[in-house]
Amino acid sequence: MKKRSFLLLASLMLVLSVFLAACSGNDNASGDGKDKGKDKDTDNGTTEKGDDDNKAELDFPLAVSNDKEAMEDGEMTVALVADEPFEGTLSTVFYSVQYDAEIMEYFDEALLDVDGDYLITNEGAATYELSEDNKTLKLKIKDNVNWSDGEPVKTSDLLYSYQLLGHPDYVGDRYGFMIENIEGMPAYHEGKTKEISGIKIIDEKNMEFKFTEATPSILSGFWSNATPRHHVGDVMTGEVTMKDLESSDKIRVNPIGFGPYKVDKIVPGESILFSRNDDYWRGKPALKSIVQKVVSSATIVESMKNGDVDLATIPADQYLTVKDVDTLELLAKVDLSYTYIGFKQGKWDAKKKENITDPNAKMASKELRQAMWYAMDNATIGEKLYHGLRFPGTTLIIPVFESFHNKEIEGRPYDPEKAKELLEEAGFKDTDGDGIREDQNGEKLVINFASMSGGETAEPIAKAYMQNWADVGLKVELVDGRLHDINAFYDMVENDDPKIDIYQGAWGTGSDPDPSGTYGRTDSFNMTRWTSEKNDELLKQGTSEKAFDLEYRKKVYDEWQEYMFEEVPAIPTVYRYKLKGVNKRVVNYDIDPASETRLYEVGVSE
Amino acid sequence: MIKFILRRTLIMIPQLLLLSLIIFVLAKQMPGDAVTGAFMGNPNATPEQMESIREHYGLNDPWYVQYGNWIGKAVKGDLGQSYTHKQPVTHLLAGRVANTVTLSLFVLIVTYAIAIPLGIIAGRWTDTWADKLIVTYNYFSFATPLFVFALLMLFLFSFVLGWFPSGGSVDVRIETGTWAYYVSKLKHLVLPGMSGALLATFGTIQYLRNDIIDTKLKDFVKTARAKGVPEGKVYTRHILRNSMLPIAAFLGYEVTGLIAGSIFLEMIFSYPGLGQLFIQSITGRDFTVTTAIVMISGTAVIVGTMLSDIILSAIDPRIRIE
Repeated sequence: MKKRSFLLLASLMLVLSVFLAACSGNDNASGDGKDKGKDKDTDNGTTEKGDDDNKAELDFPLAVSNDKEAMEDGEMTVALVADEPFEGTLSTVFYSVQYDAEIMEYFDEALLDVDGDYLITNEGAATYELSEDNKTLKLKIKDNVNWSDGEPVKTSDLLYSYQLLGHPDYVGDRYGFMIENIEGMPAYHEGKTKEISGIKIIDEKNMEFKFTEATPSILSGFWSNATPRHHVGDVMTGEVTMKDLESSDKIRVNPIGFGPYKVDKIVPGESILFSRNDDYWRGKPALKSIVQKVVSSATIVESMKNGDVDLATIPADQYLTVKDVDTLELLAKVDLSYTYIGFKQGKWDAKKKENITDPNAKMASKELRQAMWYAMDNATIGEKLYHGLRFPGTTLIIPVFESFHNKEIEGRPYDPEKAKELLEEAGFKDTDGDGIREDQNGEKLVINFASMSGGETAEPIAKAYMQNWADVGLKVELVDGRLHDINAFYDMVENDDPKIDIYQGAWGTGSDPDPSGTYGRTDSFNMTRWTSEKNDELLKQGTSEKAFDLEYRKKVYDEWQEYMFEEVPAIPTVYRYKLKGVNKRVVNYDIDPASETRLYEVGVSE
Repeated sequence: MIKFILRRTLIMIPQLLLLSLIIFVLAKQMPGDAVTGAFMGNPNATPEQMESIREHYGLNDPWYVQYGNWIGKAVKGDLGQSYTHKQPVTHLLAGRVANTVTLSLFVLIVTYAIAIPLGIIAGRWTDTWADKLIVTYNYFSFATPLFVFALLMLFLFSFVLGWFPSGGSVDVRIETGTWAYYVSKLKHLVLPGMSGALLATFGTIQYLRNDIIDTKLKDFVKTARAKGVPEGKVYTRHILRNSMLPIAAFLGYEVTGLIAGSIFLEMIFSYPGLGQLFIQSITGRDFTVTTAIVMISGTAVIVGTMLSDIILSAIDPRIRIE
């Protein structure tokens, strides 16, 4: 026992030294979905994957195995695994960090529920109906849906979210396409009108939205989070200003929602106490109370072992320490994000607001890009550095989008011989005999690689890739000879710093499979600056009205993925898994988005 | 004396101004801004939003315009708006300062409570077993990194023995303001506090011990002994009064460390305070918060040094400044 304790302690220390090293920056992947750069290395994965086939084989379950009855009036402790206090902006309109979303989940929910493909359904607190031309959405809030202070949830509360998001004084990142696509929203956003013409309130429970453009993105990106107008105060009547609202106590100290639990008390930055919302519209929540608290990444494993914490996201680097703990069960699913290598091939024209691809860019050769992919040993990186918890990416649409991910494409598994062959054929030959390939014109070729610091794996990964490329005769050097912190990195990549030829970044995909935001011609986030007419065409088809037909949309995206696989403006290097540690006493917990189990059913068995 | 304090206070103003200018310029020199990193992983963000946010916070203005705006408000007590936390910086800091000050004061008091008696014992009974033990502890505490020691304490007293909670500043389940609430606060304070204090004693013990050994051999002590002053009194009246001088002078500097000195403790024990906020604001390029915290700790340094001078001149007539 003694020896074991010491081992535990040693591993604790190891973990700590890792997080100290990481405390200067974020993970080299800057986050996923709505959570942005704030998550450290919280992404995770499955244990094993098939040898050469790049498909993931989930070994972890999606739901807990404990099938006992939930005890009456239990209490569960949930950890927010973080090395910093949570911010506590508990409003779907204003929050910016994932931790806040993890808190809101317990006391607030969207009016419309979603299915396994993240498409809206009629199973939630409201139902919807889309018109024939897909331009009008009728929404009906169910009768028994009440805010936790007893007030009914009204259509005016959902309207209020739109009024806030589109408000000229709104400072935040949620005024996106899906909000702007509401008829009359741009005029309201510019302050020309006080009314949003596209949103019509029929009565307290019924309302209608009119869209400018009919696109299938409506089904995955429609905003249905209401804001309790009576509770937070009304900006429209001047009762409160936008600036006061986002720092208001009504959001930070005593927020309300209509979710299964209600906020009893918040200790700023460290913990929240929830109690059962007896009035919850789906039925009586299983737990009497929930304590949610910040637990540092250095102590999370120990806290889970001794039962202080029932539920937590386990950081990737601690997988080995939790693997064999017998009081725990590990669940995992593929995360809404992927890591990629981008090839810089042009510049952003700020005046024209479009990407200008330079056909003479250093990375303009398709064969060079393909060869670099073949040369990368992503399987080994996933295996050795992430204990098999990350696995090689195959296409630019992640497997989470089951209906849209093209399973036919198997990526480019590690094959240095093939890489060499491709390079030879394309004219990248070693003409002066120094073991390094020159470019097609016989000029020296040095590829400058930018990568982010942060996390203990950033440096080894960059070094491994450079070695991989050196093995096939390509000279790749780190920009400035070192890694850059996230802000410096994106500052350079976004502004097309000529020092950079290739870079390693990460994208959170959000719940809409549409990739045009990161690969479109007119989007400045397409930081590779690669464009083509075929790409424009396919992306447009993918969000056209015709694409409401799932089959058609799937066909378009299959074709797009094949095309991108051939052109390789970016290499999807690894997909990740998100790992949840759950105490075995927890029942009815399921992380499958397609599951029928809902949060209010989660309980503890003893 | 009053003249002295007044003069020191007046000097503080240009010092702080200069400090704020340097910090502001340096902060602006960091690549990227609050919007850059925060938006990149977010699929919902658009470049237009980023631009409008930069515009809203005035991040596109040249640095001297930004500095002018900032200092203009700062003298009125408005330290600006935090970009990441979306609330006024003063509001944000207020919440954290209380925690940091509580923790640091606890550390400070415990440090002195341990260090002064140990220093006296070691100095008075030099070369005894007690002295050797204290000196060993002293070198040990000097050599041990805080984060290793804090984890060890956490592991032992929280996970193995279960005597203290492993993190946070209070149990959220307990009603605010009750007796149990304060007990819970104290319980949460002990582990981080002791971890910090047990390692912070080094300087004080060493100074005190050396000074006592030194003073012991001075002529006035011999005189006192020759006059027949009892041994106990020799120490309390003659030796200690002299030997406590450097310790008292040190107090001012210790106050300096109060503000941002507990970063590791805050991180390990999930104790929300200024230290963590500081690191977070730098990585997130939350300039207003960074500048505000540097200003606070800068002020603390200046005030601390002044405090040291005042204490010194109060207890030592020889160096009283006219």
